[in-house]
Amino acid sequence: MMRNGLDKEMYESTPIYLKLIDKLAPFYTKIGVDYGQMRTILETKMIMDSRRDPVIQGMSSNEDEREDKNHFFRSLWVYALVSVFMLFLFVYDNWVFQYTTYFSYLFIMVFFTMLANFSTILLDTKDADLIGSKPVSQKTIGAAKATHISIYLISFTFAVGLVIILSTFYFNGILAGILLIILTLLASLWTLGLTIILYATVLKHFDGERLKNIIAYSQISVSIFMVAGYYLMGQIFEIIDPSTFLVEMDLSLGHALLFPMWFVAPFGLLQEGFKMVYVIYTLFLFLGTIGIGILYYINSDKIDRNLQKMNKTKMRVSERSLLENGTEKLLCLSSLEKAYYHFTWQLTKNEREFKTRLYPSIASALVFPLFIFFTTLRGGQSITSQNTLTFSYLPYFTMLSIPMIAVVTQFSVNHKGSWIFELSPGRAKGPFLRAVTKVMLVKILLPMYSFISLLILVLMGFAQSVHLLNGFLLMSVILYFEMKRSVKTLPFTRKYAASEANQGCLSGLIFFVPVFIVSISMIVLQTFIPYAEWGVLLLLISINIWWIKKGFDE
Amino acid sequence: MEPIVELIDVIKTFDGREVLKGINFSVMPGEIIGYIGPNGAGKSTTVKILLGMLKKDSGTIRIFNQTLDEKDETYKSRIGYVPENAELYETLTAKEYLLFVGELYGMKEKEIIRKAVLMMDALGIKESFHGRLSGFSKGMRQKVLIISSLIHDPDILFWDEPLSGLDANSVQIIKELLAKLKDEGKTIFYSSHVMDTVEKLSDRILILHGGEVVADGPFNELKKEAAGTLEELFNTLTGFDEHEALADQLLKGIKGEFTHDA
Repeated sequence: MMRNGLDKEMYESTPIYLKLIDKLAPFYTKIGVDYGQMRTILETKMIMDSRRDPVIQGMSSNEDEREDKNHFFRSLWVYALVSVFMLFLFVYDNWVFQYTTYFSYLFIMVFFTMLANFSTILLDTKDADLIGSKPVSQKTIGAAKATHISIYLISFTFAVGLVIILSTFYFNGILAGILLIILTLLASLWTLGLTIILYATVLKHFDGERLKNIIAYSQISVSIFMVAGYYLMGQIFEIIDPSTFLVEMDLSLGHALLFPMWFVAPFGLLQEGFKMVYVIYTLFLFLGTIGIGILYYINSDKIDRNLQKMNKTKMRVSERSLLENGTEKLLCLSSLEKAYYHFTWQLTKNEREFKTRLYPSIASALVFPLFIFFTTLRGGQSITSQNTLTFSYLPYFTMLSIPMIAVVTQFSVNHKGSWIFELSPGRAKGPFLRAVTKVMLVKILLPMYSFISLLILVLMGFAQSVHLLNGFLLMSVILYFEMKRSVKTLPFTRKYAASEANQGCLSGLIFFVPVFIVSISMIVLQTFIPYAEWGVLLLLISINIWWIKKGFDE
Repeated sequence: MEPIVELIDVIKTFDGREVLKGINFSVMPGEIIGYIGPNGAGKSTTVKILLGMLKKDSGTIRIFNQTLDEKDETYKSRIGYVPENAELYETLTAKEYLLFVGELYGMKEKEIIRKAVLMMDALGIKESFHGRLSGFSKGMRQKVLIISSLIHDPDILFWDEPLSGLDANSVQIIKELLAKLKDEGKTIFYSSHVMDTVEKLSDRILILHGGEVVADGPFNELKKEAAGTLEELFNTLTGFDEHEALADQLLKGIKGEFTHDA
């Protein structure tokens, strides 16, 4: 039978996830998977995840090599901690309200993590060469990938849900607790299933460059859909009695599409007894699960069967755009920095992994300000001094994508090409980091910020333009400090690894508090002290000029 | 004797471009085939189709006396493969990688380790058995790839540039091994751009150019069409005779001597 662990000296015991998966062996065999092979692939992948690649080839010491740690599992406690805020839900004894909030939050977190961080595993083409030439069926490779991701995704889901699950046992009883565990697991599997079905469908019908774009954009649209859905949740409830949070679900066709609601209905049945609304939604959940199961079975080998399309590229004449050339002349001072500026611009234009990791983050940073903008407008509110204040600081929300920017610029699928940086005449690190930060500012943050700002300028005229300009300059300074804090190696020299998938979220948490304080201070300063915005403008210009010239120098 | 591999009118297109334009050839057991062609001729595509890693558009492939069924992977357990781009899972140790590959072929742990140690010893890398592949030199990685293609004692070998990065002694060992494998009745597809090695090793040469087989036969027979070395024959068949002029152009490039049309 199978061996236990690849290297027996290091892996005496079988990891718990493998023991659990071993119990599912008959199920895997039944759907046409060679379980022995799948287990071998899975075990190997998990060991690979627990080892980080040395940043510079051949530079790792033996000491480091012996230390196998999976960084993903070691950071899960943070998510459990963050979810503590949801404890307020138990103040009111309304299960439907409690679990609607819970499942909305859970689905956003899990979908976001899945799309941004685990797409790379599903779409990995290296396996095709290394495993595809062996007698392993595509169904087995597909199942290994899905199981590999689900180990992470289920752990992540339960880390996010832990506080609520434990509280449910305490406040709502054992039955509700068990139901929540089952439904939380199901939510995790739904996310994985839906993603696989989506990618398999896209891969089947399209190819080449278009496919890559479709995948990147589908990530954005799913992110937008999830975040927008979260805000729509508020409309489903009709608050009957605010003092007791007595609420009622409103079942209309449009709302029925918000599938996290389907996960809530069983709790309604459990607490309030028979109600047609809950019965219908529970039925949707049941049918939806069967539907996803069938669609997964049909599509489980389609991704790997069509994965070769991912590597096909069309010949394209690459020209430097006016924006690229213009900003290079304006922002880059040395020839080395100019070279790195163009290099970064082109690399980020072509690298799929860069886009698939960053785009969902951009989407969610845009959705919130846009949502507020449009709901305020739709509500027919007039522009008062109060919402002038709100509006002029909406673009600040685009800053939320900065932590992810600082993470993605460290990695590249082409990390092996990084030896070229070591050959550059002169010290590479300072100019390279300056160039990368400038490209991110111009290429990613400027368009986002300008887009929201433009909407506000159109709506409110130019009175707020200095505030808006200051916001951008502040964002530039924050980007610099965040890059300086988190990018410790040369950019684009690290390899994407599943175990480091949640780095973006983690640094987001570290990032949030100081940035919030700085932004609020600036808002208060500019709002309450006359002409303070001009002082702020001068200060921010000086700091920006400094980092543009000398930032990252050692 | 029946051919062990047979391709009949195999066509493959990528984005409307025909990469294989109806390939036909057959290979007998125990033959060493020198499989050569210029870059982009379709060599790797053919091998990947034979290995089930790519789907053909049309045509028939017979392998081990059976028509290739793209859904049945079991035939792959009788094939060994060294890819041109020496990709490995670098965070694994040599031992772990070879165990991984061996188990995908359905082998037992003990058997894999015993075979791996013996072969690594023969190629002078036994001391690195527990070392991570990320710290291996190019030649060492190539040796691991060669061992991984042989560990399950396959009947057909597809080797794409197998000697790349190997030192002179190791090259000699592998050449000796090829002769012995041939004696054992193994079939070897040997693809390389190093013409004199192909010329010396192969029983038969297959030259692919523009998605078509332009030459197929023992070197001695092919030589009758264009006297000289395999390199010269290759140049004649692929219609390439501008070496000196292009070397001059490169030199001009280095010196920065541009003509107005460059």
